[in-house]
Amino acid sequence: MNSDNDAVISIRDLKMLYGDKLVLKGINLDVRRGQIIGYIGPNGAGKSTTIKAMLGLATGYMGEIRIFGRDISDGDVEYKRRIGYVPETAEIYDALTAREYLTFIGRLYGMEEVQADRKAQALMRTFDLAAVYDARLASYSKGMRQRALLISSLLHNPDILFLDEPLSGLDANSVMVVKDILVRLAAQGKTIFYSSHIMDVVEKVSNRIILLDSGQIVADGSFEELQERLNEKSLEEIFNQITGFHEHKDIAEKFVSIVQEV
Amino acid sequence: MKEFLSLKVMDRLRNVFETLGCDYPVMRRIVQVKLTMDRRRVPTILQGTSRKKSRPESEDKNGFVPSLLLYAFMGLLTVPFVLMNQNYMFQMSVTFGILMFLIMSSMVADFSSVLLDVRDRVIISTKPVNRRTMSFARTIHIMIYLFLLTGSLAGAPLLAALFAHGIVFFLSFLLEIILMDIFILVVTALLYLLILNFFDGERLKDIINYVQIALSIAITVGYQMIGRSFYVIRLHIVFHTAWWQAAVPPFWFGSTFEWIMRGHASPLLILFSTLALTVPIVSFAAYIRLMPAFERKLQKLSSSSARGGMKKHAWSRAMSRIICTSNEERAFFAFASVMMAREREFKLKVYPSLGFAMVFPFIFIFNSAWANGLKDLASSRWYLSIYLSALMIPSVVMMLKYSGQYKAAWVYRTAPVQSIAAIFKGTIKAFLARLFLPIYLVESVVFVAIFGIRVIPDLVVACLSMLLYAVICLQFTRTSLPFSEPFQVVQQSQRYVVLLLLLLIGVFAAIHFVFTLIPFGVYIYMFLLVLLSGAVWGAGVGFRNEKLLYDPTSQLYPVRRGE
Repeated sequence: MNSDNDAVISIRDLKMLYGDKLVLKGINLDVRRGQIIGYIGPNGAGKSTTIKAMLGLATGYMGEIRIFGRDISDGDVEYKRRIGYVPETAEIYDALTAREYLTFIGRLYGMEEVQADRKAQALMRTFDLAAVYDARLASYSKGMRQRALLISSLLHNPDILFLDEPLSGLDANSVMVVKDILVRLAAQGKTIFYSSHIMDVVEKVSNRIILLDSGQIVADGSFEELQERLNEKSLEEIFNQITGFHEHKDIAEKFVSIVQEV
Repeated sequence: MKEFLSLKVMDRLRNVFETLGCDYPVMRRIVQVKLTMDRRRVPTILQGTSRKKSRPESEDKNGFVPSLLLYAFMGLLTVPFVLMNQNYMFQMSVTFGILMFLIMSSMVADFSSVLLDVRDRVIISTKPVNRRTMSFARTIHIMIYLFLLTGSLAGAPLLAALFAHGIVFFLSFLLEIILMDIFILVVTALLYLLILNFFDGERLKDIINYVQIALSIAITVGYQMIGRSFYVIRLHIVFHTAWWQAAVPPFWFGSTFEWIMRGHASPLLILFSTLALTVPIVSFAAYIRLMPAFERKLQKLSSSSARGGMKKHAWSRAMSRIICTSNEERAFFAFASVMMAREREFKLKVYPSLGFAMVFPFIFIFNSAWANGLKDLASSRWYLSIYLSALMIPSVVMMLKYSGQYKAAWVYRTAPVQSIAAIFKGTIKAFLARLFLPIYLVESVVFVAIFGIRVIPDLVVACLSMLLYAVICLQFTRTSLPFSEPFQVVQQSQRYVVLLLLLLIGVFAAIHFVFTLIPFGVYIYMFLLVLLSGAVWGAGVGFRNEKLLYDPTSQLYPVRRGE
């Protein structure tokens, strides 16, 4: 193992072909305990692909992914026991009730049925969802579903969290709660991989920002470092500058002029 | 969550699974969750039956067990063929043909969502579950489903075989059914693989939708035939084995009985029997090798490539310019046309009745021809049976208010819709022009072929009556806007309305009949109908329920549970 003993994730020269297109063009990344990483980039930059590769969903990548110091390419899935995941698409078996779904997920992570149930119920209660614990997930609103998903990713007390748009559908109060939860989890030494398109939240919540553009890391550092280096005030501006996007005014102008045509 | 009997049976094999490298408790839990979800789906075979407004929280009884009983009943269809003691090759090939069709279409109709569940990847594969455990869980789940389905379908014929032909026949029947199941499973999976190779997921879902429609038609027809099928026992069948039958799998399975039980060792029979044994086994081996490719292709399901399909719209637009009077109406005409052509749930509910509407008139004509001979038919008044094709109108018109995406109906309210009449008129015109008239035209061509050109005025009159009839039917669905209610609330009372309306079409036919007795009566009636239709459509009779657009208590905003 290398000198970086507390690197929980280490990626070396990760490349990925999709069809004949190179979607990841050599990602190098080391992540330590307790970091909240804002993983951002335009649509199609390769964010989800990286996360999927780390979760073992994408096969056929080139390069090396080590999680907790072990190469994950050997097919041993044991490392996933220490990972929690909220997918972007919010996939869920909505024919099940929250109790059924959460105990099932707990079971997949190797928890005891009773323990998973007790813990899930307690977590649901803190999120004000105790009353619908035995209702089918199909009847949940978007925000309720998102909170249930968040619980399912944390039930087994993981060391790494992959969150893809975890705040979508949540109201302002829930957003505050979840943000604080993330900060506390990181303080306990958990690593959080936070992927989102909402720059304000990323800016506030993460202590390290990684910007991906067409399959490459184009910026990596704390918000302050990036601010200083690029001489921009907000993460939004940093994002625009690095991805070379300056036409937003032109596009908006054109759009509005078409709207007025009638 | 329920403890399923099948899981308890599986528990006895725990050691076997564990030596094969499977994490048994986890696999058991996955299968349990999958079975629970199966119990909560409504199978296609029960789609048409009446249900009270569904209560999601009620016990896991959304019809899985009733559907098995219905399958057991459908299994009776094959019993006469098993019982007739004639040409085994013929009778068993027919039996296997029916079984294969029913099992394969049910599998596609109801189990596709399971075979093609993309959520598994995101939900289960991200957890520490090894690949082997996952594929075991998948396989076991499919096996349980196939076992229950085949068990209920083949139970009756198997018993019949045991009592009528003895134990050897029974055992070979059982073995062949297992081989057939394997074959069906592989063929279905390969079919999906093939489709996904060329098309995207949306197209595959369309194809599955058509299989569902075909299944519900077949179930209804089969239901009617069970009683009559017993006549075949008395028939004398002459059957010859031929080379081309090698291309039809049921013959493979049928041949074994003729060879082994009857001792007819012809080369063809031996060849077919060999196919029955080897093809399932070989294809299963191929299936296991192709499984990873299948999983990869599944990802295409969630993606949808843009289809270039502007050409149809030109035709639709031209049509709406002629038959719609306002732009608003034209908008709803176009909207309803697309909804009726694309929404799968709507198609599943409505298209079977279109199929029946097409067939009913001919069933009547053939029945009469059977009884009275063909000669009298051409000069008879049996052409009036075309009114039977109007049977679909009330049920389809009543269905127009339902949609799988009823919540999107908020657009009616937020848009400044001037006249509610335009909504209904545009929608009903779309139904008549896009679904009804094409079918009616095809029927008319066949009718002219049977009865001669003399019936053309009558066909025009019948068509005008049906158009008028459609407007009358529409009056009973004014309570809600088109595509604005969930299918689950199809009310019981509505069935009585449909029955009443069905009687009304009889009245139309009777009036028509009376006019045919008068010289030139048909033309007089035609003139009257044109006047009446003009008045009804022009006045927009009964379209004054403007409240629908503004009434906040109507069904447009269903209250979400649990909030």
